[in-house]
Amino acid sequence: MAAVVFSNVRKEFGSFTAVHGLDLSIAEGEFVSLLGPSGCGKTTTLRMLAGLEFPTSGEIEIGNRVVNDVAPGKRDIAMVFQSYALYPHMSVAQNIAYPLRKRGTPLAERQKSVAATAELLQLTELLNRKPRQLSGGQQQRVALGRALVRDPKVFLLDEPLSNLDAKLRGYMRVELVELHRRLGRTMVYVTHDQLEAMTMSDRIAVMEGGELQQFAPPTEVYEEPANRFVASFIGTPGMTLIDGDLSRDGDHWLFQADGISMAVATLKDNASPGPACLGVRPEHVLIGEGPVNGVIQVVEKTGHENIVVLELSSGQRLTGRVPAPQSWRPGETVQLSFDADHTHVFGPGPRGIRLNRDGVSAGKASAPPLDIANANTPTPRKAQS
Amino acid sequence: MPTIRKIALNVFAWTIVLAVAFPLFWMLVTSVKPSFELFRRPPTMLPETWTFEHYWHLIERTNFLTYFRNSVILSTATTLVVVAIATLGAYSLVRFKYNGRESLAFLVLFTYLLPSVVLIIPLYLLLVNLGLANTIFSLVIAYTTFALPYALWLLRSFMAGIPEDLESAALVDGASRLGAFWDVILPQLLPGIISTALFTFILSWNEYLYALVLVNSDSARPLTTGVMNMLVSAFNIEWSLLMAASVMMSVPLIIVFAFLQSYLTRGFGAGGVKG
Repeated sequence: MAAVVFSNVRKEFGSFTAVHGLDLSIAEGEFVSLLGPSGCGKTTTLRMLAGLEFPTSGEIEIGNRVVNDVAPGKRDIAMVFQSYALYPHMSVAQNIAYPLRKRGTPLAERQKSVAATAELLQLTELLNRKPRQLSGGQQQRVALGRALVRDPKVFLLDEPLSNLDAKLRGYMRVELVELHRRLGRTMVYVTHDQLEAMTMSDRIAVMEGGELQQFAPPTEVYEEPANRFVASFIGTPGMTLIDGDLSRDGDHWLFQADGISMAVATLKDNASPGPACLGVRPEHVLIGEGPVNGVIQVVEKTGHENIVVLELSSGQRLTGRVPAPQSWRPGETVQLSFDADHTHVFGPGPRGIRLNRDGVSAGKASAPPLDIANANTPTPRKAQS
Repeated sequence: MPTIRKIALNVFAWTIVLAVAFPLFWMLVTSVKPSFELFRRPPTMLPETWTFEHYWHLIERTNFLTYFRNSVILSTATTLVVVAIATLGAYSLVRFKYNGRESLAFLVLFTYLLPSVVLIIPLYLLLVNLGLANTIFSLVIAYTTFALPYALWLLRSFMAGIPEDLESAALVDGASRLGAFWDVILPQLLPGIISTALFTFILSWNEYLYALVLVNSDSARPLTTGVMNMLVSAFNIEWSLLMAASVMMSVPLIIVFAFLQSYLTRGFGAGGVKG
């Protein structure tokens, strides 16, 4: 049974279309993130689910009930806002009690629920304070408490962690996941932070330009991005994307770009020769040996690993990720290759679809997995490693 | 030199304070001097004989209290009407999206830009035709026409400063739109409402021109025209009575100001800070 279903939902603001025919089916009890850059339609989608915006066309269902014409307060949802939206003139206790008060819950019961919620979120000491007397983290917990107090069917969270500092954010991520596990309620979480989406979600809905790009579990989104946009959006540092051409010789596919030539295989049936794009994640750039020369531009040390930015002779930039104890310096020339089992091929255009067969990366079944020739690079200097 | 600068600044500030305060002081002093002392040369700074006879005269032997009551009713009614309409209007202008919203807001202000002399004759004819001439109510309508635009813009900037998320949160929490307005918007808007109310009240309290044209029966006259009519004639000005009346007219405003002054300054800053 699906708890939340969007069927061909479209939202226009005047001549601007914020959401184009969205189809999304969220299972009951699932934690789903709507992930995308700002202006991708994720917040509009959430606000339509909350009833704060009305879809131009299409249907939204919550628990098998079409809610298009149902007022926000009657949808049995709770929402946590990015700004927390705590009522400034009410105390913490009054803030948490407000949803119950609006539903006519008797006073005694209200007090009991508020006390229990405050206990759960360690707010008991703060119940008489006003929101402005609280720290950001405490305000966040009050906002969460106001959502939790009446046990709704669906929780909507609109970038709830984005105003917290990094450490607290990490802590709250864990808290939220734990809370979700304990309550077992459907949660829809809007974020532009892929780390939050990756670590917390059962499934991620990646959105861009008002369209759903991919809806899959985090590992699948990472390992088999549906198209070039998802590939470039997910992952820090981002996937290196190299524009080139795909050609076909019988069953063999060949990807060629300036200075790179690589045999790829196991593409989908609808793949056709022509412009294409090769995608390589930083951890699949193998630095040290290989047929390609690159000059190290920047080495970023994060402690447990180094992020290395390289430039090929063609001017193409690559990002690699290597374990920490390395002594490469900017300006050095190194040899490199790609982990052929984990490269991706995308069709042309900013949203070119992934051409690899599902569950398979390019080059996996290819006999000579990697054949990179650098035709016009200068004689390689020996890399010092 | 910092000390010289400091002294210069102080002198400057006190000069301004004196320039503003002296007329008030003189009004107060004149009102408690006996009439024969008024025109003495050189003038006496403080009265040689203190007297409250002018106040008693006004209260017991003139229509002063009627005028005072009229002014209170008039200003209070205007304030209530203006604040009620402006609050709802500002809510509409900020929260609802409809065609011509911006033009509407601008048009409202446009009426404020016209000199009142231009509007007064049409307004007079309109009120006469409505059968409202010579009533306090006609003045309430007239004052509303020029207080409302400014009040609307003032409240609009206050309203725009209230995060929309607050209202959305209230809606999701189960409130109706009106409920959210009552529970969440109004408490947040209170400083704005207070400064708008003060502004409207003062404007109505001090207004002269409309009152002069629209009302000419003693039972409906407010203080401004009433006092003028009573004490200032072509041949004579009753200075002592006039000053006593002025003091009594100023007292309500001074009291209100003293209590709500911080809200008022906040209101005037709202457009710049929150807009």
